[in-house]
Amino acid sequence: MTNGTKIGPEILENLKMELRRGCLIVAVLAQLRTEQYGYTLRKALADDGLAIDEGTLYPLLRRLETQGLLVSQWREEEKRNKRFYRLSLAGQQILSQLLAEWQNINSSLSKILEEAPL
Amino acid sequence: MSKTSSQAVMEPIDRYLQAVAFWLPKGQQRDIIAELSEDLHSQIEEREAELGRSLNETEIEAVLKQRGRPVLVANRYLPQRSLIGPVLFPIYWFVVKVVALCYLVPWVLVWIGMMTFSSSYRAEHTRAGWFSAIVSGWSALWFTAFVTLGAVTIVFVVLEHLEIKSRFLENWNPGKLPPVRNPNQIPQSGSLIEVVVNMAFGVWWIDIMSSPVILDRPEIKIVLSPVWRYLFWGFLLLAVINAAAAGVNLARPYWTVVRASIRLLTNGAASALFCWMLNAGALAQITGAGLTGARALEVTNAVNAGLAKTLPLVLAAGVVIAIVDVRRILRVKNAVPVPLNVKVSAAVV
Repeated sequence: MTNGTKIGPEILENLKMELRRGCLIVAVLAQLRTEQYGYTLRKALADDGLAIDEGTLYPLLRRLETQGLLVSQWREEEKRNKRFYRLSLAGQQILSQLLAEWQNINSSLSKILEEAPL
Repeated sequence: MSKTSSQAVMEPIDRYLQAVAFWLPKGQQRDIIAELSEDLHSQIEEREAELGRSLNETEIEAVLKQRGRPVLVANRYLPQRSLIGPVLFPIYWFVVKVVALCYLVPWVLVWIGMMTFSSSYRAEHTRAGWFSAIVSGWSALWFTAFVTLGAVTIVFVVLEHLEIKSRFLENWNPGKLPPVRNPNQIPQSGSLIEVVVNMAFGVWWIDIMSSPVILDRPEIKIVLSPVWRYLFWGFLLLAVINAAAAGVNLARPYWTVVRASIRLLTNGAASALFCWMLNAGALAQITGAGLTGARALEVTNAVNAGLAKTLPLVLAAGVVIAIVDVRRILRVKNAVPVPLNVKVSAAVV
C-alpha cells in the first residue's frame, strides 16, 4: 500500500542495479563460452542489451578468474597485446547450475505474477 | 618544442593510467594497467573510426572523465575493506550514541553548570576572558570526545578482526533474546518499589526532619535555617504525590499523557526544591561541645558552601531527567495503537 509518497528515480536505479548484478555474472559467463577479450565482450553484452561499464566488467572478470570460473591468456592481436578470457571447465559446470537456478527463479516469479497479476 | 598529435593523445592516457596505478597493489599494477590501457585504446580507435579522424586532447579527456576518477577506478579492483564491517557497525553506532549521551552530554551540562553557578570555577577559567574560557572548554570537550570515541572505535576494530577469525557473533541463542517490550508499559515491580520508598521516605521525613533541630546531642547540635520549613512541606508533598501516582501506575501499568505530565511536574518541582535547598544555605547552625562560636560558624559556612558547589551537578541531573520526562510524554502522545494481544484498557488518555 502506498502513502502517496513520490519514489525518487535513484531508488528505481538502485533496485535495477541490484536486479542486474546477479544476472550480469550469468551473462558474462554465458558470453565467455567463446573466447573474447574485454572490449569485445563489453560490446557484445551491450549489443545484447546488457550494457556494463568497464569499471564493473574488468574487476568482475578478475574475480571470476580468481574463483577459477574463467581462464585468461595474453595474446597479440592487431599489433596490440590483449587479454583473452574464456570459460573454464569449472565455469561451465557453474554456468549450467546458475542457469538452472535462473530457470527456477523465473518460473517462480511467473507463477507469483500469474496468481496476482500487476 | 610542440607536441606531435600522437604525443598529445598519449599523454593524458598515460597520466590517467599512472594515476590509477598509484592506488593499485604493486603485484597487480602491470596486469590491470595493461588491460585498462588496451580497453581505452580500443574505445578510442573505435571512436576515431566512426569520426574518420583522430581524437583531439579535449575529446580524449572526455573519454577519461567518463571512465571516472582514478582512485575510484582503482578501488573497484580492490577487495572491499572496512575498519568496522556491516555486522558490527550497528552495535558500534549504538555504543557511540550511548557514550555521547551518557558521557559527553553530561560533560557539557556540568561544564555549563559550573561556569554558571560556581563563582570560583568561573573566576579560575575566565581569567583570560570569556572567549578564552569558551575556547578552552571547547578544546577540552573535543579532546574528551576524541579520546573516548577513539577508544570505542579501536575496541570495535579489534572486535571486527576477532569476528572475522572466530565468527563469534554467529553463536547466538534465540531463547536468550529479551522479552517483547512495550515502551509505554510501566513495570509493576518498579511502581511497587516507588510506593514503598515514597511512603518510607514520608514517614522518615516526618519523624526526623519535621523539626529544624535535626540533631540535638550533648556533643553536637545541628539546626536548619527557617527556609527549611518550606522545603520540608515541599518534599513531603512531593513524596505523597509520587506515592499516589505510583499507586495508580501499579493498578494501570501504562503511561498516559496525564500521568507522564504529572511525573514531569513532580520531577521538575523536586529538582527546583533541591537546587533551592543547596543554594539557600539550609544549614543555620552547627554547635558542638568542642567548638568555639567562630569555629562553629566557619564549619556551618563550609558545609553550606560545599552543598552549593554541588548545585551544577544537581541542575544537570534535573535537566537530563526533564528531557527523559518530555520524551516520555511525546512518545505516549505519538504512540501507535496498541496491538490487540496487549492487555491495556487505556494506553493514552
